[in-house]
Amino acid sequence: MTTSNHDDDRRDFLKKSVFGTAAAGMVIASTSHATAQTVADAAEPEVTNDVDVLVVGGGTAGHVAAIQAGRAGAKTLIVERNSQLGGTTTTGGVAFPGLFDAWGKQVIAGIGWELVKESVELDGGQLPNFARVPQRHWQNQVYTNQFLYAILAEEKCAQAGVDIAFYEFPQAVTKTDNGWQVDCVGFGTNRRVRCKQIIDCTGGAEVVGMLGLPRLKEEERQPGSFLFMLGKEHQPGRNQIHRLYVHGADSTNSRTATEANLTGRKSILAKVRKEKKRLMHLQPETGFRESYRIEGETLITVNDYTSGRIFDDAISYAFYPVDLHTKTGVRPKPLKPGKVPTIPLRALIPKASRNIIVAGRCVSSDRLANSGLRVQASCMGMGQAAGVAAALAANAGTTPLEVPISEIHTLLREHGQIVPDKA
Amino acid sequence: MKERNRSFVSLLTAFSFVVLVLTGILAFIRPFSIQIVGLHALIGFIFVGLIALHVANNFNHLSRYMRTRILWSTLAITVGLTALFLWQPAPIRSILSLSQNLGPALDRFEMKDNGLVYHYSPSPKYKMVLTIRAGKAFDAKTPPHVAIWLENASFYHIKTLREPDDLTVGRATLHYWDFKVRGWEQAKRKAAKSEKELKEQLDVDGVSGATQNSSFDPDDYVLPTDQDIPMPYRLLIEIDQPNDDQPSLVYSVIIDNSDPRAFQLLDLMGYPKREDDENNDKEMWALYFVDERFDSALELINSALLMIDRN
Repeated sequence: MTTSNHDDDRRDFLKKSVFGTAAAGMVIASTSHATAQTVADAAEPEVTNDVDVLVVGGGTAGHVAAIQAGRAGAKTLIVERNSQLGGTTTTGGVAFPGLFDAWGKQVIAGIGWELVKESVELDGGQLPNFARVPQRHWQNQVYTNQFLYAILAEEKCAQAGVDIAFYEFPQAVTKTDNGWQVDCVGFGTNRRVRCKQIIDCTGGAEVVGMLGLPRLKEEERQPGSFLFMLGKEHQPGRNQIHRLYVHGADSTNSRTATEANLTGRKSILAKVRKEKKRLMHLQPETGFRESYRIEGETLITVNDYTSGRIFDDAISYAFYPVDLHTKTGVRPKPLKPGKVPTIPLRALIPKASRNIIVAGRCVSSDRLANSGLRVQASCMGMGQAAGVAAALAANAGTTPLEVPISEIHTLLREHGQIVPDKA
Repeated sequence: MKERNRSFVSLLTAFSFVVLVLTGILAFIRPFSIQIVGLHALIGFIFVGLIALHVANNFNHLSRYMRTRILWSTLAITVGLTALFLWQPAPIRSILSLSQNLGPALDRFEMKDNGLVYHYSPSPKYKMVLTIRAGKAFDAKTPPHVAIWLENASFYHIKTLREPDDLTVGRATLHYWDFKVRGWEQAKRKAAKSEKELKEQLDVDGVSGATQNSSFDPDDYVLPTDQDIPMPYRLLIEIDQPNDDQPSLVYSVIIDNSDPRAFQLLDLMGYPKREDDENNDKEMWALYFVDERFDSALELINSALLMIDRN
């Protein structure tokens, strides 16, 4: 008996040793190493930065604005409350960032396109053929790998000399003689930023709200989308993810955003239990479609949008159907052939403000126009224009609205953006 | 007994003739009705049989008539009228245009020097007229191949309104229409085989939420029972001028009964180009935006105006 037990023990030991070694080998084989740089005065919670341009929000418009401002020579800092850049494209998982083409030709290029193109190429993906007539409006959307996109955005920020501060958000904004003092808070960090210009890319114009400038908001907002994949493998850069509409989703503040995320996850859990399928992928948060919009120096109406009005101070094209999501879904209203809307600089400037510009879905527009303008490619175009305007204003010691539009256009073209024809 | 049979056949022939006349008049003056036209056709078949019996009963009289000189004049009149009605010159067309019923096909297509006109009226409540004005490159002597069809919101062909005159050449020239029709026919065959609903055979777009309606019954779009339910659909034309060495062009317009408009201009969509679907080894045709290579094809039509009278 004893001998037998002893033999069993030896066999168990050998088995465990073999499997254990194999398992350990796998762990070793799949672990690579990187060393984070030492952060100076990491133990010190108080930090102060003097910059030309502060970009608040590293989402769809924000990272493009920051890269552009940095490339234009402005000392730039970007603060982002989440852990990565890219916003809706990356954290929201809508990794098919809108439309860069219209009617057979590219209308939005620049830094946003550079990132999209590079992430697709690095991922071995395929770019759409813009000469092909899309049957459905989304067929020319580019499928990007959301993970690669986020990393490339960081790399381009670093190359442009842009400093990144994750997990931080402004708590107070004070006007100074030559710009702003912005107090940001992150965990273990209180950052004071003295800057000449602010680019508000928070989506909901949070900084504009802090300054008490007027904002517009609908009684009822479009549903947000929580993206996930149930039952089958998600292949980033190749397909769309399943979508859950979170009705009432509101990104006004952390409490409303928390509620949207909890509701979304709870519903997905119920779905998993009901359908008895594996949850293969889940984005970290809801993709919000609508919150505040600024009241700008001008307002883009749906007629401006659908007629393809070329504003005198147009800084970028936009292209997407009028796309209002409701409780019953969405029925996009395509634009008439040949029509390509434009975005004026004045729609990015909060009314009666100085030294602050916005970019992204909070652009000054009516609700229907905004339903098309809010899409990522257009927001990237706005971001780049805001980056140029803020950098030029910081350099000239003026405000974005007073920068000659021709200078903005010239710099935009130099950085690969397509400027509307009439301009 | 023989006399009784003759009377029976003659009276039956006469009464059938009365029904044929009445239904014929109704079919001409009223919009198309399957009841009237069906009655007319079925009584017509019986009438043909009765005529055969009538001829048999009166063969001696008939053979005597055949031996007179009247035979040739009656034959000439018959041939002349047949040719005239087939040719349909303007006066005949104007008589036909008095009819509310455009025939079982419910449509009429006219090719003129200054363009093309297509009428479609499946109901007194719905009259569609598509007027295509000729452009500089339009040559009425070698008229263009034209196909007109409807697609649902999922971009599936649901009904061809007008096939090209020469179907064989048309199919070889109007690639996009041909591709759409073949896809439709294939889906129908599959549906018949599997006894599934047609819409289950087709890959209906469920991703974008853009196509909440995906019916494949043209009536759901053209004659919707509930005007409040948005059922947008598209009318497309593909047109090609023979011998111009340029591909056909496709024009389209979206029709939305919830946003009814009496007049709409068709927009140029593009030209068809074959694509190889490597994954499925299937022939695919897609539309491409026209580029600088196009000249005469763009001048084939000046405009295409769609008018819909929803009464």
